[in-house]
Amino acid sequence: MSDENQITPENETRDNSMIAAEYALGLLEGEELMSARGKAASDETFAESKAWWDHKFAPLTDEIAGIEPSPQVWARISIEVNGGAATTGAEVIDLQSRLRHWQWTAAITSAAAAILVAVMVFAPGSGLLAPPNAADAPQLAASDPLVAQVPIGETGLRLDVTYVPESEQMLIGAIGLIADGVHDHELWLVPADGSALQSLGVVTPGEVLAMELPEDVTRNLGDGVELVLTREPIGGKPNGQDAGPVVAQGTFSQV
Amino acid sequence: MLMTDDGNGSATIAREHLRAAMVRLAQGDSVALEEIYQATRVKLFGICFRILGDRKEAEDALQDVYVNLWQRADRYDPHRASPISWLATFARNRAVDRLRTGKVRGGSVPVEEANPLPDEAPLADMLLIDAERSAQIHTCLSSLDKNIQNHIRGAFFDGYTYAELADHADVPPGTMKSWIRRGLQKLRTCLEANETS
Repeated sequence: MSDENQITPENETRDNSMIAAEYALGLLEGEELMSARGKAASDETFAESKAWWDHKFAPLTDEIAGIEPSPQVWARISIEVNGGAATTGAEVIDLQSRLRHWQWTAAITSAAAAILVAVMVFAPGSGLLAPPNAADAPQLAASDPLVAQVPIGETGLRLDVTYVPESEQMLIGAIGLIADGVHDHELWLVPADGSALQSLGVVTPGEVLAMELPEDVTRNLGDGVELVLTREPIGGKPNGQDAGPVVAQGTFSQV
Repeated sequence: MLMTDDGNGSATIAREHLRAAMVRLAQGDSVALEEIYQATRVKLFGICFRILGDRKEAEDALQDVYVNLWQRADRYDPHRASPISWLATFARNRAVDRLRTGKVRGGSVPVEEANPLPDEAPLADMLLIDAERSAQIHTCLSSLDKNIQNHIRGAFFDGYTYAELADHADVPPGTMKSWIRRGLQKLRTCLEANETS
């Protein structure tokens, strides 16, 4: 190149493609940046040139390690996009208002209920973590809701799980919980008859979720039935692998 | 090394799936946004974090990227760009814009602090950018003087301006500009010579 040994930037020809490249890389600031932005908005050739550079540079992003954002990001996007109503929002609000007085009852009775908090690990193949109650699977008498609280370690935080028989819906509230971005927590029902754990799904921190339960799960619900919370990779327990460590547990009681 | 894409591998399927979701989004299908988010959030958040160097800022940037995408999904032309490289560019540009507003100084937090995903986590979106174009930019960059390569990479990955690069290299800004412009000229010549279409 002819200018190889001359460092005189002022004299160099800066055609549009060069400015577009500088703009695409993000090298510009101040007046030069404003001028490039203006050009991109008004000059189609310049905008195309910028897009050409963007396109060429894009594969470099493959060198950047992916990182899992916290689940709150999607919650916030969803709220902004749906104008305040999350997908199950209306349903949850409806159920929540009906549940308010039941939750009052639960708060009073749970003070007396001793809930075992233990950290146990599923040994591969060992199935259940504790021998099931000898009693037969308890049947749901009436339409009274079942309530369980699952305290999370010694954080003072807890999951509130409520099942409303008449609606076959379960509400799982994880208000105050914050995701670490690396793990999800999956909630499991421990059937009293000693059969395999049944997944109630992955808990969403900071939200109250309503879910409909299939009959093969609801028939195992009842007073005294246990719930356990396990720590899993993002997305929940991978198929074909053992569940992660139990980080919390609780017991359903009828209100 | 990137996966090669023979035209009907899983990379192609993933890319076409994403392209279809982008088209549906432009038609106002909000379910498509969640699909796009699920498929691309890990990659785009990595980009935002790399540029901004702050988790909170990066999450705000990420939110801004998808909300903006939803509002103006028609900007994406499915016939021109692969959806993931378009989205990656979009996210990077938004993050750089955020840097230039002067609220944060990126690139200062070591990457290790960001809880990168464990190795076994699936990174389907890593397969979405086509190998051919990737080879092109890498080949052309590596033909440049090593120092100039590093300055260009510093601009791309850490969002450094001319002034910051000059400062780090302890040279006058004019010198840095001249080095980089010469590198960009050479890069353009190389990229144009390698254009396939």
